[in-house]
Parts: sequence; structure tokens; C-alpha cells
Amino acid sequence: MNAPRWLRGAVAVALGGVCASLVVTPSLADPGRSAPRASTGGQIVIGAEQEPDCADWIDACAGESWGLWTMQEETMPRVFDVVRRDGRWVYSPSILMAASPSLSTVNGAQVVTYQINPQAVWSDGVPITSADFAYTWDQVAHGADIFDRTGYDQIASVNDTDPHTAVVTFSTPFAGWHQLFGADYGVFPSHILAGHDRDDAMKDGYSWSGGPFKIQAWDKGIDVILVPNPRYWGPKPRSSSVTFKFLTDTAAEFQAFQGGEVDAIYPAPEPEAVDAVKAGLTDADSVVNTDTGNIEALWMNNAAFPFDSVAVRQAVAYAIDRNAIVRLLFGSLGVTTATNSLNPPILAPYSDQQAFAGYHLDLAKVTQLMTSDGWQKSGGIWQKGGRPAAFSIQSTAGDKRRELTEQVLQAQLHQAGFAVTIQNTDANTLFGTVLPAGTFQMGLYAEVVTDLDPGLCTVLCSQNIPGPANGNSGENWTRTSIPTLDPLLETVDTNTNDAARVNASKAADRIIAAQQVTLPLDPLPNLAIWSKRIHGVDGDNPVYAMFWNLSQWQVH
Amino acid sequence: MLSYVGRRVLYSIPVILVASFLTFAFVRATFDPTAKLRQSRTAASAIREERQHLGLNEPLVEQYGTWLGRFVRGDWGTSERTHEAVSAQIGRALWNTTQLIVWSVLLSAMAAVAIGVYSALRQYSVLDYTFTGLSFLGLALPAFWFGLIAIEFLAVGPKQWFHLSQPPLFFVGLHSTSGGVVDYLRHLVLPVLTLTVGIVAGWSRFQRASMLDIMSSDYIRTARAKGVPRRRVVLRHGLRNALVPLVTVMALDIGALFGGLIITEKIFSVPGMGKLFFDSLLAGDATTLTAWLVVTAAFIVAFNLLADLAYSWLDPRVRVA
Repeated sequence: MNAPRWLRGAVAVALGGVCASLVVTPSLADPGRSAPRASTGGQIVIGAEQEPDCADWIDACAGESWGLWTMQEETMPRVFDVVRRDGRWVYSPSILMAASPSLSTVNGAQVVTYQINPQAVWSDGVPITSADFAYTWDQVAHGADIFDRTGYDQIASVNDTDPHTAVVTFSTPFAGWHQLFGADYGVFPSHILAGHDRDDAMKDGYSWSGGPFKIQAWDKGIDVILVPNPRYWGPKPRSSSVTFKFLTDTAAEFQAFQGGEVDAIYPAPEPEAVDAVKAGLTDADSVVNTDTGNIEALWMNNAAFPFDSVAVRQAVAYAIDRNAIVRLLFGSLGVTTATNSLNPPILAPYSDQQAFAGYHLDLAKVTQLMTSDGWQKSGGIWQKGGRPAAFSIQSTAGDKRRELTEQVLQAQLHQAGFAVTIQNTDANTLFGTVLPAGTFQMGLYAEVVTDLDPGLCTVLCSQNIPGPANGNSGENWTRTSIPTLDPLLETVDTNTNDAARVNASKAADRIIAAQQVTLPLDPLPNLAIWSKRIHGVDGDNPVYAMFWNLSQWQVH
Repeated sequence: MLSYVGRRVLYSIPVILVASFLTFAFVRATFDPTAKLRQSRTAASAIREERQHLGLNEPLVEQYGTWLGRFVRGDWGTSERTHEAVSAQIGRALWNTTQLIVWSVLLSAMAAVAIGVYSALRQYSVLDYTFTGLSFLGLALPAFWFGLIAIEFLAVGPKQWFHLSQPPLFFVGLHSTSGGVVDYLRHLVLPVLTLTVGIVAGWSRFQRASMLDIMSSDYIRTARAKGVPRRRVVLRHGLRNALVPLVTVMALDIGALFGGLIITEKIFSVPGMGKLFFDSLLAGDATTLTAWLVVTAAFIVAFNLLADLAYSWLDPRVRVA
């Protein structure tokens, strides 16, 4: 049966229509008019792996790091920067300050005095004053649905009599005072927000700024565009705009970088990202930073079988070849050794970075520990009182790096006589329900520090075990309860003498390791990649990421 | 016809109500809207207040009634994840997904009908075999794989091979900062192509099978015997009747597409319904999930209804029955 001419024509038109959309459209393109970024106009486009849920930085909806990196650190004034000096990360007074904030004791109370730079102004020209400090404290300490009140809830008052001097008086000592009005939250403009619903005014983005950039537009799900704040009193941004495009798929993110749709990416060190770096990136520079505020660890529920036994916790630590796991995950990035403290690398001065070094693969040690604790092997698995040494490990579902880690752990632990099942769940359920309720045995997740103050008491002091005393809101999910550990960690939190904090923190590290409360794995390295067309990128910052000097970036 | 339409619309209402109740109960049983508050230092009081605010202490049916009343009045609640009105979130996501679907369905329908008719009329020809092979290939290709390959060979590759300043086709979102029609089209091609390949593959097989069935019918032979021109036989008698099963499949597929583009939207960073569902699911955003599920269920019911109406328009015997 021959097809008539009209039918052949119809088929040709239909197929032609499909092909035309592929072929004709690009040829019509006018790169100068419709480019996603104009490489000669100083417009920078960055791929962001996650979109912030909201831009009200103190609200519970704004906990993501990408919120800090995309908008907050560019628009919110802060009292301290985090800089590298003499090989370590330290606080340095920011351009908001006229002098270094001073710590003193007045009538037995801790007092911090902030001298505000008289040149510091909001984007509408109104000076940044002590009233803004008072407003910020009031909102964090007394507002509803606040992400974290730590430290602010220990402030008794903020004296704003002198607009250029904010005097903060504490009701109880707070050693981590450097983090207040800093990276996590910054300082909020009272003249704009006071008397209004702060959350409503900020959650979808805001037009004011106290930083080098202003938010020009936040197109939800697509991108956020920053433009220079003309009233910024510090170094002016060199680019005419910075666009953060939201790219939540790692493979697509790398393709977008290779395809020139974005100039820089800051991917999480997932296997796909590590593989892509290993395969080589053309016309790109990159940096791998292991000096981070992250600690990926195996968190054991000290109150649940079988980890209610110190011997079992220690045996598990000897059953795992942590260095092999680190090499598998990050070896191609040059990261080959496991972390040996629960304090992340940026807190090295406060920690014994070799505390866990004694725990390495040693099956003879496993046998010795388990048999001395009354366990016997049956069918290759340790048994005690008819119960096998079986436990589940829980982590965030869909995280390929963690899934790979779990599979290796499962194999290693099985070889040592432990039966491990993998039971992952979504992050919300894990962190919102499972861990607080203590319905887990072993968790694999990271502790991320966004300041330079040690603070393990939150997750390891016995008074922070979730229970009626703290309204079930304690974050000591591992149910760690070691009488000798609590006072040390409390000292770290409350003593404003740095030497005393260092000593207490190091002693605490050693106790944590001896009791094998939990087992650190790796520092979760940061990975920054940028096009050679971009100049001004200057490495990675453990708090502000590769964007710490974004205002100095420019297109070559 | 009007009474038929009215009857079908009335039948749809209880279906949507049952679907919405099941959805509501399922989400309530699965997600705790206060879970995120558990990490707050004032968790106990915050959770108490939030439960009171959301009416979680009431019986499920009462909760559903309150929710439904608000939903019908346009108050779909506030997202626990973003604190944004859920109606605004879904409206924005729906618009982005609709753009992908409209272009994909238009192109797919044209291509599928043309290929199906051609293959049926020239059964076992070289082109028929070619289309059949390509259809199987299209059905076998997962969207995520085809999408990534398309990006590599139609965007990233050409840019690198020809040392272009930018890729010929974009693959991040639906528009650039500078915007413009051409820019929009350059963003649209790859996600639409990814969708179209799978859809055409399925629909063209339906159209071919249906057309073959119709063209071997007695009334077609009678028409040909009576001397009716071939073009008229194919278009008027053959194609119109052969479209009936395809229209049903198309309507069902389109309804499902509104909630089923998760992978395509993720690969091309399109903030549509699929991505909204994925993000809400990960965050345990119960309020958004409930509304999302009801909206997508409503779309499926609505497109089923459209299928029924189209069916009755193409074949009047249906509405008489």
C-alpha cells in the first residue's frame, strides 16, 4: 500500500517541526542579547546545589548553608569575619566594627562592647547603630519559631544609649560570644523591621542590605540575583551582578559548569562530584579544603543495645578500617586519613586531634574486647545471652556517599562478627523524629560547625539527653552520660578564659575517645571549582565557603 | 450533549472528594507537621502551639472538614518548609510544568499521529520498521539518561567542539536573567525533547495499532468500494475513529504528567510540580504535600473527564449509552 503524497507531506511537516525546534532555534540566538551571563559585563553565574527555604535568617525555616552563602553573607553586616592567620582560622573584627569588640566583667557579669564603625550604613543610607544590635537580640531571644537561640538567650540586656556603641551584658557566662551577631545571623535593621512582621518581611528576600551586595531578585526555584550595594562602605564589588542558579542534580551541575552555563560550583563531595574532578575539568581551577567545620561520624546510641556496653563500642571501633573508607570516598581528592577527634579540623587548637588515633582495624582486639565482655561467636556473629550483636545503621536516604560508606561498614563489621542492617530514612524523619526519640542504634551523619567555638556539650552533656527536663528538645541524641565529661564540656561552654577552654576541651576529647562514645570518620572536605575566566577567587573558607570574598570576583 | 457533560462533571466531584480525603489521611498518618520543631530549644511549647494552630488534636474527619473548607476558599495553608502560601508555590510550579507539557504534548501529538498513520498505511515498509525500532528505543530510554545524553551532545559537546562562548541550547531552568523569546526557546528545547521522545514512542504505537484495526474494518472497505476518495477514507473514516483510543491514552497521560516530571525537572532544574513534590517530600512539608496530591488528583480526574467528553464527541454512541 503506497502512502499518498499528502500523507508523506504531513509526516515530513510533523518531523520537521520537531527538528526545527532543535536546529532552527539555536541558530536564531543572539548571544549578546539573550545570554545567561555576559562574560564581558562582569556578570558572574554560580551554581548552587540547594535553594534556601527562606531568607529570614533567624527563623527555623532558614538553616541551610546555601542560605548563608547565596544571600546572607553578602547582605547582612556581621561583627567578625573568619580569616586564616598563622595557619589557623581565627575571628577578625569585620568592617562593621570601629575596634575589636572587647570582653570585660562588670559587677560579676560578662559584658561585650561593640564599637560600631561610624561609616557603616544600610543601603538606604541610615547608619547601622546599637539599636540594630538590640533589635537583633530581642528577635532571636524572644521571637517565635527561632532556629537557634544559643547565646542570645544568655544575654540580659543590650544597652543602645550610644548609637555607635552596643554594650551587651550577659546573665550567665557565654564563652562563645564571638559567634553572636556573626555568621549565623548577622545584624538586622531595626529602622526597617521594628513594628513589622520580620518573618513576613524577609522570608522571600529583601531589598535592603548592609553588605557589599543587595538582593535584586529571587526567582524561586530558578535563581537569586545579587547586585552591588552602592552605599556599601567597604571595597566595592567588582562584578556588576552575581547570579546563583539552583542546580540540585549533581550530574547536571557539572554539565552546567562544563557547558559554561555557570562559572563556579561548590558541590558537596558526593561520589559523582569526586569522580568528575578525578576525570578532569577543562579550563577550570579547583581547591579541596580538608580544614573544615565538618565531622562525619558514626553516632552510637549509648543507651541502646548493644552500644550500652563500652566494650562493644570499642570493639566496633577496632572492627572498622576508617582510613580505607576515607580513601575510597575521597582518595582521589588527596584525602586519605580518618579524623581522630569529634571537634572538626577548624577547632584543632581546642582539640586533641589524635584522640581516636588508637582505633584502627585490629580483629584480635575485637575478639579480646568482646570475649572479656561475655560475648561468644556463633555462626560468625557475636552472641550474648541469646542476643546477637546485630544492629542497624541509619542515615539520610538518597545520599550516595553515605550509602557507599554504609555498605563498606556492613562488610567490614560482618567480617568482625557484627550483623549490620541499613535502615535509611529522609532527613526530616531522621533528625526530627528518630534521633530525638532515641529509636536508633547507630547513625551516620555530620556535625557541622559554623563558628570557631567548640561546643560539644550540646550533643554530649547528660543534661541535654532529650527528656522531660528539657522538654524533649535536648540534642544529646546518643544518650551519652559520662559524669567526668559533663564538667569539662560545661567549662568549654562557659569559661571565657581561652587557655582554660583549650585544656578542658582536650581533656574532654580524650575521655570521649576512651569511652568510644561515637566514632569520627572524615572531615567531609569542601570542594570549590571555578572557571579560569573568573579572577579573584581565593580558596575556601570553612564558614563562608568559597564565597567569602565574592565581592572581589570578576570576569576576566 | 450538555446533560452528558453535566452528568460526567457531577460524577467527578465525589471522586475528587474521596481522593482528597484519602490523600489527607495518608499525609497526616505519614508526616508530622511539627517534626521540624523538635530541634528547637523550646520544642515542647512550640509543638503544643503548632498542634493547636493546625488543629491536630481534633479527630481526623473534623481536621479534614476544616482543611477542605479552607481549601475550597483558596486558603491552602502555609508551607512548613518555606513559610510561603502553598497556593502561590503550587501556582508557580504548575505554570512551569504546564509550559513543558503544552509544548511536549503538541509536538508529540503531531509526530505520533503522523508516524502512526504512516506506519499503518505502509505496514512493514522500511520506514515502518524504522519507526517501530525507534519507538522501542524511545520507550526503553529512561528520561534521566536521555536527558543527560541530550545535554552532553546538544549543549555541552557543541560548545566544546566548536569553541563557542556558550552552549547552543541551555539546560538550566526555563529562562536566563536577560530573558527574551529566543532565550526561552533555547531553554525549552532540551527538556521538551526529553519528554517528547518517550511520549511519541508510546503514542505512535497506539496510533499505528488503532489505525491498522480501523483500516481493515468492513465499513472502510465499503467506503472504498463505493468510490470514496482515499484521502477522505483515511481522514474522515479511518483517522477519526482511530483517534478514539489514542485520545483516551493522551488524556490519561497528560493528567499524570502534571505530577510525573520529577526526573526531567530535576535534571533541567525546572522548578515545576515534580520538583516541588520532591523538595516537599524530603522536607516533610505536609501542608504542601497534601495540596499537591489533591491538585494532581484533580488533574487526573479532570483529564479523565476530558477523555470521556472527547470520546463522546468522536463517537456519539458513547453519550447515548
